[in-house]
Amino acid sequence: MASLLTVRDLAVHYATAAGPVRAVDGASFDVPAGSIVGLVGESGCGKSTLGRALMGVMPRSARIAAGSAVFEGQDLVTLPDKARKELLWRRLSFVPQTAMNALDPVQRVGAQLMEVLTERGGLSRAAAASRAEALFTLVGLDPKRLRDWPHQFSGGMRQRASIALALALDPALMIADEPVTALDVIVQRQVLDVMKELQARLGLAMILVTHDVAVVAYACDRVVVMYAGRVVESGPVRAVLEAPLHPYTMGLMNAFPDLERAGGELVPIEGSPPSLLNPPKGCRFAARCPFAVARCAEDPPLVEDAPDHHAACWRSAEAAALRPQAARAETWAGVVA
Amino acid sequence: MTPVIAANDLTKAFPASRRLSDLLRGHRPMVRAVNGVTLGVGAGRALGIVGESGCGKTTTARLLLRLEEVTSGSVLFDGQDVTALRGKALLPFRSSVQLVFQNPFDALNPRFTIRRTLTEPLRNFGIPPDQQDARIREAMARVRLDPAEAYLDRHPHELSGGQLQRVVLARALVAHPRAIIADEPVSMLDVSVRAGVLNVLRRARDELQLAAIYISHDLALIRYVCEEVAVMYLGRVVESGPTAEIIAAPAHPYTRALVAAVPVPRVDQDRGALPIQGGLPDQVNQPSGCAFRDRCPLAMPRCAEEAPAPRSIAPGRMAACHLV
Repeated sequence: MASLLTVRDLAVHYATAAGPVRAVDGASFDVPAGSIVGLVGESGCGKSTLGRALMGVMPRSARIAAGSAVFEGQDLVTLPDKARKELLWRRLSFVPQTAMNALDPVQRVGAQLMEVLTERGGLSRAAAASRAEALFTLVGLDPKRLRDWPHQFSGGMRQRASIALALALDPALMIADEPVTALDVIVQRQVLDVMKELQARLGLAMILVTHDVAVVAYACDRVVVMYAGRVVESGPVRAVLEAPLHPYTMGLMNAFPDLERAGGELVPIEGSPPSLLNPPKGCRFAARCPFAVARCAEDPPLVEDAPDHHAACWRSAEAAALRPQAARAETWAGVVA
Repeated sequence: MTPVIAANDLTKAFPASRRLSDLLRGHRPMVRAVNGVTLGVGAGRALGIVGESGCGKTTTARLLLRLEEVTSGSVLFDGQDVTALRGKALLPFRSSVQLVFQNPFDALNPRFTIRRTLTEPLRNFGIPPDQQDARIREAMARVRLDPAEAYLDRHPHELSGGQLQRVVLARALVAHPRAIIADEPVSMLDVSVRAGVLNVLRRARDELQLAAIYISHDLALIRYVCEEVAVMYLGRVVESGPTAEIIAAPAHPYTRALVAAVPVPRVDQDRGALPIQGGLPDQVNQPSGCAFRDRCPLAMPRCAEEAPAPRSIAPGRMAACHLV
């Protein structure tokens, strides 16, 4: 399928008194039209920074230091502010981490939706009103509740409302930052079902920023695994989660509790991620990796090891042999980071 | 075996409204955050309390810890009723039943060294100074922060999240408790370090024969650390029993929905539609009869008339539903 968004070597740095923090340091991946891509990793890996950089919503201390992000033929990195603003909402929209941030607490939910539809979308009030009702129905909310205030909504309803807001002007790509993290499992599942349905009905593409591998497994078509500012593995969800090529992905899968997996222990990844102020040379995961070899002192490039399946590991050819070892806690226990 | 810590028909009611109009009319609606909860855990065992936000699991923990006054029912420690204890009389209970805090980044005083953090409870519980150092070293070894010297003179900001959570556990262990109650002990940690902290908790429980209660919204996590689980919905325990059995064959329709909703990290999942509808009802105006009935796909007229009493459905298993 055609690529809707093509990100190449994107770097985002935060200026700090101690020097630049390389939160995203050369990320490359694609978002095919109409697909849901999970951007997964642990805190501080750069996934949220990357999502926000694509939207151009960054704190003042952050800047895109290098790379490109071509969306529908235009590079979001070099696009002038005015042209970028034209794209926002219409082609590209954002669902922030906490739904409360998307909704103005002192305005009725419907009024906020109307404002986007009339002022940004140029719809007449009558057309906007019927569109607002249709949007609420689309995300599984009762249109009667358009008159409610945000505080009258439960967490799940707010998240649905902020998705409705993001969809108002019929974008091609929606970036959602941890859209279900703060929700209880049942509500989580309901919101993910709404997102999958939107993809199926509208052909909407999404980037779902999450720390939760299970959310990726349930809702995404493709996954991009990040570690310490780098993409370490990417590809179709099935290939990456069932036969991971990178030891970090293997570790992440084994550390994740699985309700249905009989017996077994959770396998921790010992140590913690490196500082991004002075990232180590070579592979950034090497200090925690039980399979590290001398060559890992050199930076492993992200290469296509299997059709459509990329990994940045010198030993990815041996992945099939490493996977059973990675499933044992003893393998990781000896690593001192 | 007498449980080390147990709740017997515990109820906690909070005033539901602070609206002036209600106060002026003398109308004081109450919410039963915990409504007749009975559970217990023995030495060397772990019980998980699971449920969605607002189900009363954290209030139950606070009642068991005697941090919250009980409205009715009792808290039992070694079979003794401790509900009425106050002040100094409560001190031995306080040292025997320890809380493991949820957020390691908030739970530790940032200006205290780790040593001071661990000395504080010892001083509170009257441990003589010449025994304090040995206690601290023992607790640090238990949580695998070895050698202790490498950490004791450091401040929280110098440690990682996983190390901080181990310090939080060490602080609970220095008191030589018989029971620990952990409220979402790893929810603030990344997946890769969670497993390490859970393993440390589990080992400490085994080595010290602690009775452990874990409060969590995450049934998948509970499965790894708790042999037994109690599922709560709107202040009540709706089902309890061995964790593996409940996950394999949930009896209560709410448990069934919860098990079906828990995300699993695998691509091939034939999960079907969720067997539940709507959202949590208003705490004040709960439905009559069974509190779950307006979301239940199996609700019958009887469910509106009569609240289902908990009943035994198999050895060690209980469910509160007319259909079981």
